[in-house]
Amino acid sequence: MLALVVATGVLAPWLAPYRPRAITGLPYESPSGAHLLGTNDAGADILSRLIWGSRTTLVVAVSATALVLAVGLAVGLVAGLRGGIVDAVMMRLVDVVLGLPVLPLLIFIATLVGPSLRASVLVIGLFLWPQTARVVRSQTLSLRSRGFVGIARGFGGGTLYVIRRHLVPALGPVIAANMVFVAGLAVSIEAGLSFLGLGDPAAVSWGAELQRAVTSPLIQTGSLWLWWLVPFGLALTFAIFGCSLIGVALEPRFNPRWRR
Amino acid sequence: MAGTTEAVAAGETGGLLDAAGPYSPPTRPRRRWWVAVVGYVVTVYVLVTFNFLIPRLLPGGPIDALMAFGSPTYVQDDHTRANLARYYKLDESMPRQYVHYLAGLSHGDLGVSIYNNVPVRRDLGGKIAWSFFLIVSATAVSALIGIPLGVHSGWKRGKPVDRSLLGFFLAYQNLPIFVVGATAFVVFAGKLGLFPYGGGSTPFNDYTGVARAVDLVRHVSLPALMMGLDAATYQYLVMRSSMVGELGSDYLLGGRAKGLAERRLKYRYAGRNALLPVVSIIGLQFSLAITSVIFIERIFSYPGLGNYMFEAVAVRDYPAMQGAFLVLTLTVVTVNLLVDLLYRRLDPRTAA
Repeated sequence: MLALVVATGVLAPWLAPYRPRAITGLPYESPSGAHLLGTNDAGADILSRLIWGSRTTLVVAVSATALVLAVGLAVGLVAGLRGGIVDAVMMRLVDVVLGLPVLPLLIFIATLVGPSLRASVLVIGLFLWPQTARVVRSQTLSLRSRGFVGIARGFGGGTLYVIRRHLVPALGPVIAANMVFVAGLAVSIEAGLSFLGLGDPAAVSWGAELQRAVTSPLIQTGSLWLWWLVPFGLALTFAIFGCSLIGVALEPRFNPRWRR
Repeated sequence: MAGTTEAVAAGETGGLLDAAGPYSPPTRPRRRWWVAVVGYVVTVYVLVTFNFLIPRLLPGGPIDALMAFGSPTYVQDDHTRANLARYYKLDESMPRQYVHYLAGLSHGDLGVSIYNNVPVRRDLGGKIAWSFFLIVSATAVSALIGIPLGVHSGWKRGKPVDRSLLGFFLAYQNLPIFVVGATAFVVFAGKLGLFPYGGGSTPFNDYTGVARAVDLVRHVSLPALMMGLDAATYQYLVMRSSMVGELGSDYLLGGRAKGLAERRLKYRYAGRNALLPVVSIIGLQFSLAITSVIFIERIFSYPGLGNYMFEAVAVRDYPAMQGAFLVLTLTVVTVNLLVDLLYRRLDPRTAA
């Protein structure tokens, strides 16, 4: 499922019959050979917008996840390796951020910063890192006490060397599972923000198109909602469901709680 | 696998519940109660300071934001701007402003809405009542859906009923609430006309008594149903696996030997024992409820707090926006603390 979304995003320019913003017909056209899903309120081809929208989703998912990975990994590793007061302070910070109500904060910040794709990514990254940091820290703690880290240190391996050579490979699978979930969340948060009208107004995004459809006064006429509203909702669900299925498949193998 | 939330996470509901997401059971580190309280105080402080700092740190500053271009209070004259800055005490140093801000806040002073010139606090009061009504209705709906279905599904573990219910709820969990909500709005309220088309009551009505109550319920039903279904998925999953944990218990065998009715065993005995984790979940779901209430109020133009926040955004009414933000976030944090403390009483194992 995810592969399909990724492929659509990457191949958008070749797959989509029209440019997403090009006005290629009359507004509110019904599906036809020329426009498989009809046209929206501006007369743009809905299918093309659907296909191009996956690209936005993909960009946000990948960059937000990368950001979360960078921050979460750094905080988790430092807290896990250093221990002591550094660990305590960092974990309290994690607790505080985890306790914050995310959506009101996202809305607040997004409104003040002004809507743009970069802002969405930053804001999403800002609130999703603590979970990753926690996972990385607990894994680091258990790895640290295992033989090979001690031995590598005994042979004079520096901290960075140990991290690069031993910890990151050992953490890899756990991080991979965590990242898939983060990506799924990032997708739904980005869509949610743009649904609320706080996304990048210039971007062609699934969430924003959903909002356009719902607020359109003509959505009640005919079967317009069938080819305007529903496809975007399905596409979103598809992407999110894809992420959590992969996560579910990965989780039991790497989550220590499951090894009973 | 005795019905604890731990068992839920590791049980057959699958890794979905381990996800870092709004549905994941919060991992509760064992710590003393005062650590939770200190954490709460720090969080509140962070939120309050956030509310103070963000508008001041961003380019433009609050005066530009208040008098932003395109807002009804746009001011171009520099002299007037300077006067306004003095009027709002924005020409003072940051620390002094901060002290003023905290002092005002401690009296519950949230500032005056620049759009309709009413103290934000007065506006918020009415909005909170609407949101509260919606959340309470939704919680009732979710408990009515999630718990009985969970009991039934757990009781019939592995049977077709259980499989299809489980499949449905696991899939439903992945549907973003605004997708389902928007579709339901268009189809049930719009196309089929089964429900009122948004709002919290019929405009310009003069209903009293029963007629008023009926009108309110009619308006709240679809949004509450959508919100409730969203919350019910989690309750269902927890209830089901908690129920499964009770299945092999001795008291059920004893009850059967005594010849008790199956129905009685199912609800009175096993169902009751399995209920505790679900009850604590309902409290924990509050922050989820805040998220969904924002989306749902937006879609159904319900006159609550979430919608108020967006009306404020639309007219760039910053005091109103900040007030709504502060009330929403502080409520979530406070409820989380209360649940945390209550949880310790219910389940001594979580207390250190």
